[in-house]
Amino acid sequence: MMDTEKEDFKSRLAPDVTPNRQLPWLTGIELLSDTNQNKHFLPTGLEGIDALLGGGLRQGQVTEIVGPSSSGKTQVCLSSATHVVDRNFGMVLYLDTSNSFSPFRISCFVNQLHPSLPKELKETSLQTIMSNIYCQSVFDIFALLDLLHHVETTLKHTVKLGGSKLCLLIVDSVSSVIAPVIGGKNSQGWCMMASVGVLLKRIAYEHNIAVLVTNHMVGGENGTLKPALGESWKGIPHIRLLLSHGTGNNRGTTTVLKHTLMASGRTANFVIGN
Amino acid sequence: MGEAKPENWIRCDETGKEMLSRVLSGRPFIIPAPPLHRLALRLRNVVEISGPSNSAKSQVLVQAVVHFILPKEWAGIQFGGMESKVVFFDLDCRFDVLRLSQILTHRISETCGSIGQIAFDELFHDCMSRFLYVRCYSSSDFLSSLKELSYQIQRKDETIGTGLRLLLIDSVGSFHWIDRSNQLRGLCKGKNISPQSLQEAIVHELHELLLLQPLLVLATKASLFRTETPNEYQSTGDRNLLFREYMPAVWQSFVTHRIQLHPSDELLSDGSEPIRSYTSDWLQPSVSIKDRFIVRDDGIFLT
Repeated sequence: MMDTEKEDFKSRLAPDVTPNRQLPWLTGIELLSDTNQNKHFLPTGLEGIDALLGGGLRQGQVTEIVGPSSSGKTQVCLSSATHVVDRNFGMVLYLDTSNSFSPFRISCFVNQLHPSLPKELKETSLQTIMSNIYCQSVFDIFALLDLLHHVETTLKHTVKLGGSKLCLLIVDSVSSVIAPVIGGKNSQGWCMMASVGVLLKRIAYEHNIAVLVTNHMVGGENGTLKPALGESWKGIPHIRLLLSHGTGNNRGTTTVLKHTLMASGRTANFVIGN
Repeated sequence: MGEAKPENWIRCDETGKEMLSRVLSGRPFIIPAPPLHRLALRLRNVVEISGPSNSAKSQVLVQAVVHFILPKEWAGIQFGGMESKVVFFDLDCRFDVLRLSQILTHRISETCGSIGQIAFDELFHDCMSRFLYVRCYSSSDFLSSLKELSYQIQRKDETIGTGLRLLLIDSVGSFHWIDRSNQLRGLCKGKNISPQSLQEAIVHELHELLLLQPLLVLATKASLFRTETPNEYQSTGDRNLLFREYMPAVWQSFVTHRIQLHPSDELLSDGSEPIRSYTSDWLQPSVSIKDRFIVRDDGIFLT
């Protein structure tokens, strides 16, 4: 028993020491065809953001949303979950670190999607959508790492059936579980953050899943706000978006901080409907 | 033994001119695409491209890839590429093949003008098949991939072994925290593979690879630890931010050239919207001119 526990613990902190791994050398052509066939864009449901992302959240990539508090980060997550399930892309796993998952908001989004349906059909559609969103609370980084390893193992060993498959993984918010362990002289916290990053990217790429994480902001130099989790985290997400409050209620502005395909600095407005 | 005449010791093996021509043909000079164009690099050089996050380091790598995979000449049109294979080790796991395909498409359309779709597809297919990609999720993955590459080159394998000229690593510091923490915890102690020696083994493997096959190595490194010190360059108004070195000494002595990229605060207007510019600064060997460049849809351009 001790050995398996040790192995388990080792595998959590030192990802992937597998001696006999088959090394996939991919040529450019194979990469491109894999991207075109398997890595689709998943809609967030908010037009401004979808346009800025070139279609939506991309499978195989980690997208980060940064913003000050109540700038709409959780709303973007809930809206994405609803729209992705509604259009039958697959299942959604919502990892909630701050009890922000709200079934009521999901039902509001569903109402907004199908305003003209009769009541019973709305009910059934709401039931279907809710049954395809899996929500799990995680309150510390060990539980998060544990869960991500479990997800990866399950995905590896599941035979692909015709039915729904996990296509979107949301961690809202990843910074609230990572921030308490980083900082200070000890490097264990940074190691765990790096392990989370490697795991998320591996799950995203190998299993064609879009990963959406949220991050909060902290005070930087000269009193300006900057994204939390420091310099080392910047190298983990593929795409980083900054949300800021807009003029009216439910309005906001998004700025691209980092993107693999387009220049940073582009902005767009978005509206979160009622 | 034969005659051991003293004259044999003084007689030269080859003249300087012969040596120069041998060396230049075996290791020709490469003028890569900007912003690396200031120095003429040669095969077996190791260039480290460092900079903070969002300083276009990966774009520089993609630009170099396109330069290497394009043919010298195709159907009578001069492309000026190196027509050789490229292997990309993605330690960061953030490479986007659509960006590579975007830049390649732009370069081909720009040079060729209008060619038929079939011809374009054929050329595109040829170029993309010269690009080889490996993802590594840990340092030990990287080490085993390097060993595999050595083996394939020794076997003169058709797909990977022959015609390889460029090796890219993005980015070398990706597993810094994980390796360091493992070192402190003393994991992997049993098999006598401490992560410190993991780094040394990686550099040793790269060194062996370079002896086996002359390659140009381009590696990016994210500058994680910032130390601000005022120095004599402050007169220009930019603070010259120095970054603390965190790579082990074996890597530092393996690197032959260093260039540092930095996003500049000013925005240039390029057509419709303001676009961010970046500065590049050669640290080793030190070049006094700093270049400025922008990144557009079709690649990197100097301003």
